[in-house]
Amino acid sequence: MNATGHLVITGAGAVCGAGLTIDAIWNAIRHGRSAIAPITQWDVSAWPARFAAELTGIDNKALVDDRKLHKIISRTDLFGLYAAGVAIRQSGLIAHREALQPDAAEHFADRSGVFVGSGGGTYQNTYDFFPLLSAAEGSLPVFGRELAGTVNPMWLLKHLPNNVLCHVGIRHGFKGTNACITNQCVGGAMAVAEAASAIRSGEADRAVAVGHDAPIEPETVFHYHRLGLLSSSTLRPFDRERSGTVFGEGAAAVILEKADDARARGATILGEFLGSGCVTEGTGLLDVRPDGDGMARAIQIALQDASVAPESIGLVVAHGNGTRHSDASEAEGIRRVFNGRLPPVTAFKWAFGHLIAGSGVIDMVLALSALREGFVPGIPTLNSLDPDIGPFPVSSKAQTPGSRIGLICCRGFSAMNVALVVRAEPQATVA
Amino acid sequence: MKPRSRIAITGLGLVTPLGHDAKSTWESLVAGRSGVDRIKGFDASGFIAQIGAEVKDFRAEALIPDRKLLKYASRSCRFALAAAAEALADAGIQPQPSTSERWGCSLGAGMMGVSFDEVKAVHAFCGEGGGFRPDGLLDNDFPADPVAFCRSQTNNGLALLTRHFGIRGYSTAVHTACASGGQALGTALKVMRRRQADFMLVGGYDSMLNPIGLSGFCLLGALSTDNDLPERASRPFDASRNGFVLGEGAGFLVLEHWEAARQRGAHIYAELAGDGNSLSCYRITDSHPSGDGPIQAIQQALADAEMTPKDIDYVNAHGTSTLMNDRSECAALRVAMGDQVDRVLVSSTKSCMGHLIAAAGAVEAAVCALAIRHGIAPVNANLTQPDPACAVNIVREKSQRQRIRAAISNSFGFGGSNSCVAFRSPEEVDARLSSKSLAIP
Repeated sequence: MNATGHLVITGAGAVCGAGLTIDAIWNAIRHGRSAIAPITQWDVSAWPARFAAELTGIDNKALVDDRKLHKIISRTDLFGLYAAGVAIRQSGLIAHREALQPDAAEHFADRSGVFVGSGGGTYQNTYDFFPLLSAAEGSLPVFGRELAGTVNPMWLLKHLPNNVLCHVGIRHGFKGTNACITNQCVGGAMAVAEAASAIRSGEADRAVAVGHDAPIEPETVFHYHRLGLLSSSTLRPFDRERSGTVFGEGAAAVILEKADDARARGATILGEFLGSGCVTEGTGLLDVRPDGDGMARAIQIALQDASVAPESIGLVVAHGNGTRHSDASEAEGIRRVFNGRLPPVTAFKWAFGHLIAGSGVIDMVLALSALREGFVPGIPTLNSLDPDIGPFPVSSKAQTPGSRIGLICCRGFSAMNVALVVRAEPQATVA
Repeated sequence: MKPRSRIAITGLGLVTPLGHDAKSTWESLVAGRSGVDRIKGFDASGFIAQIGAEVKDFRAEALIPDRKLLKYASRSCRFALAAAAEALADAGIQPQPSTSERWGCSLGAGMMGVSFDEVKAVHAFCGEGGGFRPDGLLDNDFPADPVAFCRSQTNNGLALLTRHFGIRGYSTAVHTACASGGQALGTALKVMRRRQADFMLVGGYDSMLNPIGLSGFCLLGALSTDNDLPERASRPFDASRNGFVLGEGAGFLVLEHWEAARQRGAHIYAELAGDGNSLSCYRITDSHPSGDGPIQAIQQALADAEMTPKDIDYVNAHGTSTLMNDRSECAALRVAMGDQVDRVLVSSTKSCMGHLIAAAGAVEAAVCALAIRHGIAPVNANLTQPDPACAVNIVREKSQRQRIRAAISNSFGFGGSNSCVAFRSPEEVDARLSSKSLAIP
């Protein structure tokens, strides 16, 4: 165990197509309900890949109660700010700070870190320039002259990848060490890992870690489908019939702090953060190694970091994005570490789609729910395990975790692999 | 607990508006030559700001002999590949199959992925008045290009660099606007200290010198509009400054553990000694007039490096040449440097090469390493009437030859992300090491 003491999780928040609270999302998963449905943000009737798990019917002001702010942030930021706000409120840290003397409160702010895995549509911000391009009729001088009257002056700010980072700071007064990680799917998981490392190494006393994304935009859906990465029906992790992933959108956040601090202020402890591992396979943007090299190494590093033996892991939450190559190589990588003695494995993306930069954090938050309740949800879209994957303990039925320690796997573009290890606190209740 | 590892900078690579390598960039900075000119890459005559610091006559093919790889690389990723290749060659060490898992990569990556040509290609399928018609993408004539999709992705630079150079360890891409390069350095330092890597390739790269990137800053009124005096337009700390000049480029560094670098006989530029990192929590575009935020970043970097202001001889300022930044930064330096502030030399090399946005922090880190190596504080060009509100000891008129024992580099981004990175000369490290060993009874 690390010399600087244990790290605990004292707050959590999540939002996705399956619900606006962790309880709602967890209940949907327990009952086998998926939020995947036809896309509503534009008319997809002619589209080959028409499905996603959207956040529909949401009241933006109910998510973030600052009318002015909505003008200078984008959809992905809204989700990240909401999830971070829920986690911070739940932790009780703000009430704690308000009871401090001014000097102590200032020190508290400087010692509170913010770590964000930031994602957003790659293309959405360019759509704002289409009316100007039409007005310019191919002339760049006209484009330049008409710019100010045609495009929102706040355009750049609205699309800053570090918006959640700075607005969490402004809204909640966290001023300490920070990072905004733009490493696509693994961004959120890496934000958690970096937050934990910052506290362990003494750079911060506590931190909020957020992962957020909103990938459901026409060009991203179009290109992913053309590349064979998107399913035209549903997401079937590890199934012989799996045909790709399905996008989701949303965010999740956790508060990490030193166990001694959390106990001293009487905080509710949801779980303990034990360790992380992060590697690339170095095979380029889209290619992954069939042998699961990166996944296996990330898990081994995480277990070592956590000082946990493979046989102590009671549950694996797999990335399970439903694509042919990722699922097969992920299973291979996980199996290599566990040497045939695998704990129950499950995956959650069938319920709320792939949150891209938000995926690792929401999986971690839900892993804590599963470990706490001693209930590993089945994967209802898993009809028949792919025989090419070989023996792998995933099931359409519920399983029971072997311990309260869980391993969360997260993979992404650029052949990235991240593994997180957490332990759930049995007595905690999630508000 | 094991003692903290000391981290050495053993290789540098630069592609900047002043040159395509570290040597030519450094010579121009020392001479105070400007890389700013009227924008030539596209017709900017309709924009309020028509000047920029472009990387000139850059041909990646000459530096990276891999045409397939370059097809997947945007302009900024090409800068990154070239600068990274130079840094690795300079360090004299490359990832090998046996060491690839111990090599990491940390990047400050720009925010713009989609090229202007791609935006125009989609626009061609829009409706009346530029109304976006998603079904246009399904049109049989739409030129769907999977390679362009790859170029647009936020971590494509990471994919290209790790694949091309054979890196298989800890890898990350970060973005905190103009502080991105500094943040990438800080992340790399932490990863090395945690011993998650034995070597790190770290850098920043960006190019927003295209119609959309330029638009973003024009809309905010952040750019100098001195279109008729391009080489004078970037004048950090001058009373008449009126905005920054948009630049482009890349800067890369190779990091190793100090003892390992010494053992293999590597040439060490400097120690990457400390990192400080804070949020201003003030406003999205403005910096706090008191310097709150940057103050904490500088103080943290000094504490992390086990330095006091007395140890610092040179500050490479963020110094963007905007009214607010330069005042706020000087206020921060006055607090953080205390009674040493009138002694410590300060310059903004953006006066010559403009603002490289996500690349700035990494390029300026390399400048600090070169300043230590050569014992020269590069000039803050174009300073004729110092702003009385910028009361720091600025390197005026010409570069100043002086032994630099330690330096810091500031980078502050939109959104109030502040980064400060500290560097120590190898001689100072040796002096500390020998005094420590003497202290052992």
